[in-house]
Amino acid sequence: MSATRDTFANLATWEIVLWYCLIVVSTAIFAWGVLRLVLKYRRGRGSFGRVDRPLTRLAKATRIVLTHAWIKRRAGLAGVAHALVFYGFLVLFIGTVILGFQDDFANPVLSFDFFRDDFYLVYSLFLDVFGFALLVGLVLLALRRGVQRPARLSYRRPDRTDEEVDRRAYVVGDWVFLGALFFLGATGFLLEAFRIAQTNPSFEAWSPFGWLIGHGLRDAGLRGHAAQRAHLAQWWVHGVAALAFVSSIPFTKALHMLTSPANVAVRDERAGKRLPELGAGIDPDQVGYGRITDLSWQHLLSLDACTKCGKCHVACPATASGYPLSPRDLVLDLREVAEGAVGIRAELGIPPLYDEAGSVLGDPIRPETLWSCMQCMACVEICPVGIEHVPIIVELRRRLVDRGELDPLLQSTFEAIHTSGNSFGEPRRKRARWAKELDFELKDIRKEPAELLWFVGDYASFDPRNQRATRALARILNQAGADVGILFDAEKTGGCDVRRAGEEELWRSLAEENIATISGCSFDRIVTSDPHTFHTLRNEYPALGGEWTVLHHSQLLLELLELGRLEARPLEATVTYHDPCTLGRYNGVYEAPRQVLRALGLELVEMPRNRDNSFCCGAGGGRIWMKELRREGARRPSEQRIDEAVALGGIDHFVVACPKDVTMYEDAIKTSGHQGALDLRELSELVLESLELTPHPATVSTAKEEA
Amino acid sequence: MSGTLVVAEHLRGALRDVTRELVTAARELPGPVTVAVIARDPAALAPALDLAGVDEVVRVAVEPEEFEADVYQRALEALIEVRGPDAILLGFTVNGMGYGPAVAAKLGLGFASDVFALATENGAVVATRAFYGGKVHAELEFPGKERVLLLLRPTAWAPAEREGSPTFSDLEVEAGPSRARHRDFVEVTQGDVDITAADFLLAVGRGIGERENLEELERLAERMGATLAVSRPLVDAGWMPNARQVGQSGKTVKPKLYLALGISGAVQHLAGMKGAGTIVAVNTDPEAAIFGTAHFGAVADLFEVAEELEKLF
Amino acid sequence: MRIVVCVKQVAVLGDEVEFTDNERDVDPDYLESALNEWDAFAAEEALQIRERLGDGEVVVVTSGPEGAEQALRRCLAMGADRAIRVDSDAGPGDPISLARSLAGAVEGEAADLVLCGVQSSDAVQAATGTALAELLGLPRVAVVRKIDWAGTGPATVHRELEGGLVEVVEVDTPALLTIQTGINAPRYANLRAIKQAEQREIQVVPAEGGETSAKIRRMFGPPRGEGAELIEGGPAEVARRIAELVRERLQ
Repeated sequence: MSATRDTFANLATWEIVLWYCLIVVSTAIFAWGVLRLVLKYRRGRGSFGRVDRPLTRLAKATRIVLTHAWIKRRAGLAGVAHALVFYGFLVLFIGTVILGFQDDFANPVLSFDFFRDDFYLVYSLFLDVFGFALLVGLVLLALRRGVQRPARLSYRRPDRTDEEVDRRAYVVGDWVFLGALFFLGATGFLLEAFRIAQTNPSFEAWSPFGWLIGHGLRDAGLRGHAAQRAHLAQWWVHGVAALAFVSSIPFTKALHMLTSPANVAVRDERAGKRLPELGAGIDPDQVGYGRITDLSWQHLLSLDACTKCGKCHVACPATASGYPLSPRDLVLDLREVAEGAVGIRAELGIPPLYDEAGSVLGDPIRPETLWSCMQCMACVEICPVGIEHVPIIVELRRRLVDRGELDPLLQSTFEAIHTSGNSFGEPRRKRARWAKELDFELKDIRKEPAELLWFVGDYASFDPRNQRATRALARILNQAGADVGILFDAEKTGGCDVRRAGEEELWRSLAEENIATISGCSFDRIVTSDPHTFHTLRNEYPALGGEWTVLHHSQLLLELLELGRLEARPLEATVTYHDPCTLGRYNGVYEAPRQVLRALGLELVEMPRNRDNSFCCGAGGGRIWMKELRREGARRPSEQRIDEAVALGGIDHFVVACPKDVTMYEDAIKTSGHQGALDLRELSELVLESLELTPHPATVSTAKEEA
Repeated sequence: MSGTLVVAEHLRGALRDVTRELVTAARELPGPVTVAVIARDPAALAPALDLAGVDEVVRVAVEPEEFEADVYQRALEALIEVRGPDAILLGFTVNGMGYGPAVAAKLGLGFASDVFALATENGAVVATRAFYGGKVHAELEFPGKERVLLLLRPTAWAPAEREGSPTFSDLEVEAGPSRARHRDFVEVTQGDVDITAADFLLAVGRGIGERENLEELERLAERMGATLAVSRPLVDAGWMPNARQVGQSGKTVKPKLYLALGISGAVQHLAGMKGAGTIVAVNTDPEAAIFGTAHFGAVADLFEVAEELEKLF
Repeated sequence: MRIVVCVKQVAVLGDEVEFTDNERDVDPDYLESALNEWDAFAAEEALQIRERLGDGEVVVVTSGPEGAEQALRRCLAMGADRAIRVDSDAGPGDPISLARSLAGAVEGEAADLVLCGVQSSDAVQAATGTALAELLGLPRVAVVRKIDWAGTGPATVHRELEGGLVEVVEVDTPALLTIQTGINAPRYANLRAIKQAEQREIQVVPAEGGETSAKIRRMFGPPRGEGAELIEGGPAEVARRIAELVRERLQ
């Protein structure tokens, strides 16, 4: 006897006809659901389905999905469990496709019968092993969800009380999804076991798990006719369950099997790092996102890609500090609106329904939720399905700004920037005042060429504490004989956070003026100590015609050290380094500051959250200009970060490489209750200490000016 | 007549302090000083105008009980017509703003407001006032004007002493109906303290150390007649309500006097108080940033200073 | 229903100052310009009245050189319907002349309500509005913190007196009100709207000449050193000096 099995053994002809009818019905339901989804996404802005480099995208997405590169990050055993489920399901699905191909095409049409002997045995082994993997994965996930209950799977929201929000449907959906997959897998094994119990061919040892159960059944006395009857019944149970599952995909959590890979493929690879541009001369109702259909089709699709995994929820510094924002809940709220306004739920009239012409701002998306975001990119960075929270938030903020509805402090900062060109509202002629203290002259690059154009930035120019670091950098550059000039009062704030706070046109006008100023100068490279300025000059100004080589001062310092133009003497201290969001996650500059620290002979101890997992200081995205939105009693992000550094033990210096970090952490060291435990150093200050230009640079200059 | 005409200011039946200051200022100008009191019952207020340096008190009886711009304007115009003063002095007050500039515009007088110093040169008035947020001062002249109307800054002159030797007279004017009529006064409810409205803020910061110390400083503020304000850390610590917070994330305040005890002067804090008239800072740290913004600074322990202050108030 | 709002592009002086050669004003290099804070509240109030009544027109008027149009554009960006600039070059020292230059343009609008800021932040004369009311023959109320008006007939307004006392005044309309800060929260005029406002036409009318009411003959820095004056001595001396300052500065 040849090794194979008959799919329709034990079925009467009418049953087979019925089966094919059910396939048609379930496929139709599935197709209708997918069509409705497509129609929903088409309601978004942009031409639906249009993406650049489709093949590259497909290849990349395939790699990301198959390797689980994103799913396994910071996921531990859950990542492994998902891989078991994913590959289990994928192999079972492929097996079913092969079977269908054999039964419905190869055999009847081509009279080609490959489903036997060696092929069948290997096929059996594969499906059996992967089916088992599926079940193991599901059990692990269920244990995690039901027993371990990690914070990221909790549906508690930072912006709503438990009474305000009912997430029971989500909880049920999660368990139904796990249960349905488990049911499919388990009934499949039983079906196999009943067949083996009935026919007991020796080659079915190639289906080890089915064989074990089948023989167990036989030993329990189930064989022959009884086994045949059980097999028939089980055949229908498994078959109908499978068809039901297929038809349910567009309507349940199973949808992510389609939307998540699709979103990974169509996402903007530089989402958040590069913000969508605002068209010129557009109407107010086209500025940013106000209604649900203002979202781009990709963003509408991305809402459905969310699996509620909660990685963003636990990475978000706003969520962690009791701000009324969770990136996960923002996405889920928008998804509710999309579904209830233009989605399947709207089509079927299932509440809650939303008016598609209504604004999402206010309800359910509260302005304070949007203003809580620090644009640190922790959410986008870790999202395993490529959701673009940051640009979505910026788009929503843009509409608020356009409607003139913003935090009064942010408003006055914008107004100050508009009139004076800096966020401090200081007269522009005071911009280079910090340099008066130096005992050498800095070149005015507007008047004479230099190798380096030093774009100083607002905080480094005006904040007294930061001026110390700025002068340290100036002294280092002078010591190294670097040919450097500054723009004096012609420099305006770079506008990075202006843009991220949603005031696109103010950013544009700042950028245009800075580009005009810089373009009139002669230089090779730009350097800045401000990562925000670094980011916008490097990544956002090119779109407006300002393309230069832009360095962060950590990169320049490293270069000068490596070239031997700075002779560092070893410093004896243990330090930890905080990665600024705009330098690290935005621009991938993780190593240069660390190498500088090592070159200074310092012992660098990493905080648990470092590099791409760095934890924001809380200043970004314009938050430093807004009123506090934190829940009372919650520890602010900067304090949590100092806690993290102090917990390492034995840290002398908390090293930063961003002026806003200097401001935030100087404050946080005092307010966190760790005053005296460690002190703050800007990278340049340590380099200067090492050069021993002056033994104690922090205390040497006169009190008046330092104050 | 030449000389100076002062218009007395009163509210709810009582003469306001600024009137006596105006008299002091008027004495710096040549010629006799006449004080006009425009009221429903001017005779009731006139005795209070028996001030040193006042030559004459003119009682002008009008219908309304309280200030009404049209009525005051017509009364003042009549006074000017009858008396022909060289200078008319009003307070730079909410009422003064309500009719003074109108009279100047109508009669084509020389005009300046918020004047805090007066002089005469060759018989012509020179007025000094501030511009650009008080950051510069300027002397104003009134070329071609024989008559000037000036609104003087309250508190810039010392109040005139009592007991002069004025003569008292009455002037009848046809003031007619007013197009803007007084209806009522409303006392502002004192729900939470409005630190932005205070003239004198005693601001404390992290330097106070313990929450318990706050009580002592609250007591001191009360004794000194100051309103207590705080910097952010104290609000964050839950020691004080947000309404008391000065700074970028709190209130922007512009009191006449800002006494900062134990505030180092974070940039966000400075943004909220740098508009204060006079800033006095006490801090143990000679490098505290607040000394860069303060007008007066003392490197001292705030509690020792507070103790000494308690003795003086 | 038409509301005219008179606004001013004010000069803002930083921490440093140099004077012009004739010493009659600050060197323009040391000045930044901005819409007068009080006028932003006046413009916002006009817009809110228009929104409340459901119709009407808000016209913003300024008097000044071409640069003063910035103030108008900001108001257009906030939502004003039209803008007029009276072409003049008045210095900061003469609010009566400023009111005269505005009078013709404002009168031509036959407004139901004219709103001005209480004062400008650079000159702080608090006089232009009241003088303008006289020139237009309008009843006026100075330092208004609340307006209750149905669009016709008398308005009931709150004036803010010294010491936090509020006076309720009934005023016939048309009227001129000078608006105090805090009456509302002026909306943000975003740059997109400002840029669009730059495309809008601003009606420019010549200023009518008038006599000068005052002239700055000398401008100078206030007699005060820069930075903190250090109070020397122990706590007792420090406390004594502080007590002196309290009496001196608060009277």
